[in-house]
Amino acid sequence: MNQDPRRVRCIACSIFRKELEALQASGRLDLPVEYLNSMLHMVPAKLEVRLQEALEAARRQDPDRDVVIAYGDCCGHMEDFEAEPGTTRTQGINCCEIVLGRETYRKLRREGAFFLMPEWARSWRQVFVGQLGLLGPCAKTFMQELHTRLIYLDTGILPVPHEELAGASEFLGLPVEILPVSLDPLLANLRQAIQTAGHHD
Amino acid sequence: MDRNYCQELLDAIERADRAGAAAVVDAWAVGRSFSQVVPELLSPTLESFGTLWSQGHGGVSLATGYVASKVAEDVLSRLLRESSPDGGPILPSKGPVLLGNVEDDFHPLGRNMVVAFLRTAGWDVRDLGVDVPPAQFVDQAEETGARVIGASAMMYTTAKNVARIRAEIDRRGLTGKVQLAVGGAVFKLRPELVSDLGGDGTATSALEASALFERLWQRSLNLDPTPLRALP
Repeated sequence: MNQDPRRVRCIACSIFRKELEALQASGRLDLPVEYLNSMLHMVPAKLEVRLQEALEAARRQDPDRDVVIAYGDCCGHMEDFEAEPGTTRTQGINCCEIVLGRETYRKLRREGAFFLMPEWARSWRQVFVGQLGLLGPCAKTFMQELHTRLIYLDTGILPVPHEELAGASEFLGLPVEILPVSLDPLLANLRQAIQTAGHHD
Repeated sequence: MDRNYCQELLDAIERADRAGAAAVVDAWAVGRSFSQVVPELLSPTLESFGTLWSQGHGGVSLATGYVASKVAEDVLSRLLRESSPDGGPILPSKGPVLLGNVEDDFHPLGRNMVVAFLRTAGWDVRDLGVDVPPAQFVDQAEETGARVIGASAMMYTTAKNVARIRAEIDRRGLTGKVQLAVGGAVFKLRPELVSDLGGDGTATSALEASALFERLWQRSLNLDPTPLRALP
């Protein structure tokens, strides 16, 4: 088992940047992290290419260091990345499940929740209008047909962006709820991945 | 000069303009029998849209695909409200067939679109919703006599549950008789998963689902024409 977490590096989605930086600053997480733009999530094929490049660069830079991928199942070949020696991934189908834990995620999804992580809450217009092409009444009918409410996952690192959330709520035609979430599930998930990485030794 | 209603409807869909699309349908219907709206207006328009979609045309976004399915739903609703003069069926009756998101999958958008396009094509679709366990798919197939199950999954993690539906179909001795259509983002990115996970076929877009279901239905009949549902 890998006893030294500093022998592991992490490639993470920038959706986790503030949270991981806070964990590092508090001394609860000790490993170098490289971030990839969270907007890559909207184009899984591009994400796959960028992740592959980042993994190859990390191995070239330090072949002895295992890599933890802090991602959900966000592109078609994520399992292939995990299968490569010295590579593990956080458990969860997406960032929201990683932060909430499986049971809470499933319960809220069953209730029709649409989650906004802190980073995306601040760029919701870019996602819904720029990436998905939702405009005018189409945005409301689209979201109301699929979801019952927006849930902002308040990880406590950034101030709650009340103005942006009100704008998203109005544009998407859904009420918004603020759910305080602990960083513990994210940290536990990462620690498990770090520990599993050690088994590759 | 005659208006090109198909092009106008396509333009409205490409603008993700549902209200504009409804106005085109209304204008087309003036002086025409609405019972002809599918073959004369909707089908050719959706065929053109499907071509753009499958070619990855720049103007085709998730929103325009969604609006196309809403236009199909709107037309279908109106068609069902306005019964044909002789009281006969307005749309051909095909099916029944089942559709659902596999267990653990909570992404209904693609499935909703397929439901709309299949219904417009005359299929009797039983929509099972999201997070459907394998046994429920097969229970419903046996109960309704559906020869085709459509299973939707967005990610590989959840797509693996398609293999569990395959196993359940086989375990009940329904191999071939119940065909398994699969779809969703991960199958577009990794087409090899269709057969790896036990699917019988897939379509490259929601608009091509009806043709896929036709093929699978016919294959089921060829393999075993006896009814799926036990007669009372």
